Amino acid sequence: MKEFLTALAKKADADYCEIRLEDSMQTSLAYLGEDLENVQESHMYGGNVRVVVDGCWGFVTFNNVDEIERRMREAVTNARAAARHAKDRSVLAQVQPVEATVKLNVRTDPRKVSLDDKIALFGGYNQILLRHPGVTSTNLRYFDKYSRIYFANSEGTWLDREAIDMGMGASAISRKDGTTARGSASQGGRADFDIFRGMEAEMHEAAKTAVEGASASVIEGGNYTVVCDPNLAGVFVHEAFGHLSEGDNVADDPRMQEVLKLGRKFGDGYLNIYDTGLDEGLRGYLAYDDEGVKTEKTWLIREGELVGRLHSRETAGRMGEKPTGNARAISYKFPPIPRMRNTCIGNGPHGSFDDLIKDVKLGVYAIDSAGGQTNGELFTFTAGEAFMIRNGKLAERVRDVTLGGNVFDTLRNITGVAGDYNVHDSAGGCGKGGQMPLPVSHGSPHIKIKDVVIGGR
Amino acid sequence: MVGKNTTQLGARSEAYEMFQQEGRSLNVSYENDRLNEIRQNESSGISIRAVKSGKIGFSYSSKMDEFDFVADSAIRLAPYGKPYDYKFADKAAARGEAPVNPACGELSVEQIVETGNRLRDMIKQAHPEALAECSIGGGIGRTRIVTSGGQESIEDSSSFGYYVGVKIAEEGNFLFAYRGRSSSQPIAESEMMQNAREACDEFAAARKTLPFKSGSYPVLLTPSALSDILMPIEVSVNGINIAKKTSSFVDAMGKQLFDKRLTITDDPFHAEGPSGTTFDGEGVPASKRAIIDAGVLKGFVHTLSTAQKSGHTPTGNAQRSVSSLPMPGWHNMIMDAGTDDLAEMYRRAEGGLCIRQMLGTFTSNFLAGQVSGNISLGFAVHEGRNAGRVKNCALNVNAFELLKDRILAISSKREWAGGAYLPYVLVDAVSISARD
Repeated sequence: MKEFLTALAKKADADYCEIRLEDSMQTSLAYLGEDLENVQESHMYGGNVRVVVDGCWGFVTFNNVDEIERRMREAVTNARAAARHAKDRSVLAQVQPVEATVKLNVRTDPRKVSLDDKIALFGGYNQILLRHPGVTSTNLRYFDKYSRIYFANSEGTWLDREAIDMGMGASAISRKDGTTARGSASQGGRADFDIFRGMEAEMHEAAKTAVEGASASVIEGGNYTVVCDPNLAGVFVHEAFGHLSEGDNVADDPRMQEVLKLGRKFGDGYLNIYDTGLDEGLRGYLAYDDEGVKTEKTWLIREGELVGRLHSRETAGRMGEKPTGNARAISYKFPPIPRMRNTCIGNGPHGSFDDLIKDVKLGVYAIDSAGGQTNGELFTFTAGEAFMIRNGKLAERVRDVTLGGNVFDTLRNITGVAGDYNVHDSAGGCGKGGQMPLPVSHGSPHIKIKDVVIGGR
Repeated sequence: MVGKNTTQLGARSEAYEMFQQEGRSLNVSYENDRLNEIRQNESSGISIRAVKSGKIGFSYSSKMDEFDFVADSAIRLAPYGKPYDYKFADKAAARGEAPVNPACGELSVEQIVETGNRLRDMIKQAHPEALAECSIGGGIGRTRIVTSGGQESIEDSSSFGYYVGVKIAEEGNFLFAYRGRSSSQPIAESEMMQNAREACDEFAAARKTLPFKSGSYPVLLTPSALSDILMPIEVSVNGINIAKKTSSFVDAMGKQLFDKRLTITDDPFHAEGPSGTTFDGEGVPASKRAIIDAGVLKGFVHTLSTAQKSGHTPTGNAQRSVSSLPMPGWHNMIMDAGTDDLAEMYRRAEGGLCIRQMLGTFTSNFLAGQVSGNISLGFAVHEGRNAGRVKNCALNVNAFELLKDRILAISSKREWAGGAYLPYVLVDAVSISARD
């Protein structure tokens, strides 16, 4: 395979050529209420060719690997067509070619856990949720995926990578007087199936959250001081700042380069944000990115100041910066683009959760995320659950808590960063440019933000 | 070959359904003024649902020649699966014809690039300070479904889509105004140019920002914003939520839930719709049906499984890719036009908002009717027009209440928003939270 693909990549009538072949096998389980709705095995096998001709890209995908040479010629033809019309040219940042084999480093391999065992484990969790008084339905999904990806480019890089990815998300649903509420528990990772064992307490807590949520009042809309738990804060930093830091947002946009000028102050001195691919075992871990660039820990904000961004070879080349190992594709069906890995707010000096809330007269404690979205400047997230904070103490549960705001204002409005960093993976993933779900992680300590708009009644 | 295989599959299983799909597409994209990429995709796959011991197993491969692997896997997994308590599709004839245009598979790279260049140049001429975004593409596909019930459907499909937008990232005003739609037919360049002009006009209006205070306002929902507000209906008629009784619509069939001016149809045969089909993802004939008729709940959206569990007749709404199980979903959502003039509706929205884009509403508790999110692109309405952009505002409404008794007007003009063809709707007394 190595000789064939490296020779082929060098044979392309292009300035640059890369070939990716991918063979993956996935097992999935899905419960809906009492029913094991789906037990599935999927085999995906296919590839892509990406070429640069005169600074322009051509990209083709295929399932029939026997046609790889024909498809490569089509990619070159398309890139030439683009070059005839394009005014700008892409420049790839130089990297040293690498040859590497990335083997699995797995403690308990999910492929060696029997389907009976998986069904007993996750079916048991589903039953815990269902048996909780007041829970009307459940939704539990689990998957494990083994991938082997071969990558060769015309510069001599050859990678043979294996990876495991696993995730589980469970929701209890409760309905009362026309109000529906959810409580969730999740887990994910790359290194050990046993992380999914022993989650009974989390399931009980998810069920309780759903039932109590259905009886909770809708929050009154307005501006609040919000304390976010590590998971929601992690989602916030991913959605609100991580995406903004992706090089393709910046590389071709001189105004955005002004807004995101390195050295600009974005927050107080205790605000530190980074993205790393080095945390083995997390879903955001990767040894090399999908352009064959070795991964790293990339600082984005240090002591409140913008110091970096997340690059592919193309965006780094356009900006004259260093590739950071962030070029990722969810599968061979897509080209790699700048994406996050494990995006984090670092620990801060403001003690514990109790220290953060003690001075809050009226605020909201927002826990976990039911999802979020950003358009670069504005963001919206819905908390998985939430409580009012009154006179420095946690008070009543509230529901339908949707946080919105301006990314830049909100970073400036982070008035507290605790020292209790935590990262917790789930079954979800990041979406961008039609590529969803990409395995990523996000972590943070508890943070306190003033003046957050919460939509409510 | 497949005929022989399915015969063997029939002998090894109590029932089966084989789903094959292949397709190819071409897409040209421009980002930040730049012709970014020309992409060609070829894809294929085969999946099988097989019944053994009264239970269903499912397996998929992207390799069309892996029939045996997929069949063996589906049969092996079946004892773990859900009970086979419904029937895979029986032989049945189509109830209509979905539009297909093979021209979507014969797009020329050169022609698309030339169109893209003209769109980009037009935007740059209107707003030299901004960046142009554009994507144009299309493709064709073929789906074949064979069931042990005797159904064999082979259906060709076509798609064409574009979006065009103008954006700028300025301190305090990131702005992206865009238009676009998908169809089963190639879309004329003249329409793309017209929509690019509209996006440019909207961009111009949004460069100015106006202060806005929290309160209750009349709100003019554009078709794209209305599609967010309709999500609670879309989710509540979904067969999964009916079968699981998590929808508040479970016992509401025939009841007046909404304003009498609200009629929404699911139309798989619409000439312009992007999601037309003759047979659904289980081989069941699709049909044009009213879901909400003059405010009255008239229909649900079912797969074979959810229909059986709900005690309803299958509706031909199974949506799927080759690698996934069928899920209930709409084909093309078509809302009846109203009788109101859009300019007059703008006048009636005086002092309120016109919302073009919402952000993050998908996280809302739709089953409860709730739609919450940041207003990504919204305008203060003064003197019958979009006077300037409002920022840092969030909307939180109960769509069931809003669409029941707070509709002031529905426009005669309609536009495509994703797979939905919708009018503008003016609603009253909407709670807006603003960072004052």
